[in-house]
Amino acid sequence: MDLHRKWKIVRVVLTTFYLMAGWVLFTAALDPLMLGLGLILSFFVSLLTFKLFIEKNEVDFHSLLPRIHYGVFYLLLVIYKMYVASFKMLWLIIRGRINPRVVHFRTRLKSDIARVALTSSITLTPGTVTLSLDDDHLIVHWLDAKTTHSRYAGELVKGVFERLLKRIWI
Amino acid sequence: MTWIVLLFLVLGVVFNIMGNLGVLVFPDVYTRLQASSTCGTTAVFSVFIASMLITGLSVMTAKILVITLFFLVSSPVAAHIVARYAWNKDMVVWRKFHD
Repeated sequence: MDLHRKWKIVRVVLTTFYLMAGWVLFTAALDPLMLGLGLILSFFVSLLTFKLFIEKNEVDFHSLLPRIHYGVFYLLLVIYKMYVASFKMLWLIIRGRINPRVVHFRTRLKSDIARVALTSSITLTPGTVTLSLDDDHLIVHWLDAKTTHSRYAGELVKGVFERLLKRIWI
Repeated sequence: MTWIVLLFLVLGVVFNIMGNLGVLVFPDVYTRLQASSTCGTTAVFSVFIASMLITGLSVMTAKILVITLFFLVSSPVAAHIVARYAWNKDMVVWRKFHD
């Protein structure tokens, strides 16, 4: 059995596992009939979608199994930052004095999924929207820009997020 | 408990109204997108938290939690797609000129 086929089987099994978890959460029924039906259905769906769900070149162990306990902490941090920035946003809308700028900076994160998570959390925080992500180069629209200096702006926008994401996906 | 639920519902309403006001006030695509998408996200999130608190500890809460997590993933992606389209179409970013 060659390496490609093995990796394909692993991907199908992992996708089935994730789909099954979703099935159990949404049906909330634990009798064998429902579980069996869920297993069969998620296996067929995973046969169709495993190529999209786990990319062929995504063979890093840590990108498939992130460290969940840091992830929960990260989620709480993002929600806290979201609320703080929303109140700042309210003040900006009332006052009407904005200073929008486009800032460019680079990220040190290596894996694709960590970069996507960083992009999403920057967009989720009010006041900053990611315009483009090209390899490690991010272009961010900042509503109330303090600076346009690349390194300083990067520290203000992504500082804490990047340090935590590095621990989740190495 | 009722007061916390009320607080989150009021937060949701306030963020939603101010986000819509921001769409009317701000000058160009990007700033309007900031106001609508991000304030809208916080508003919907507040309503989800309020509904989770009101249902208490049950299966329904877990379902709402899953919906909230999916929303946290999908909402910034939608905002990013709109912003990326505008950026790739070379729309000029509005900026304040100091006089």
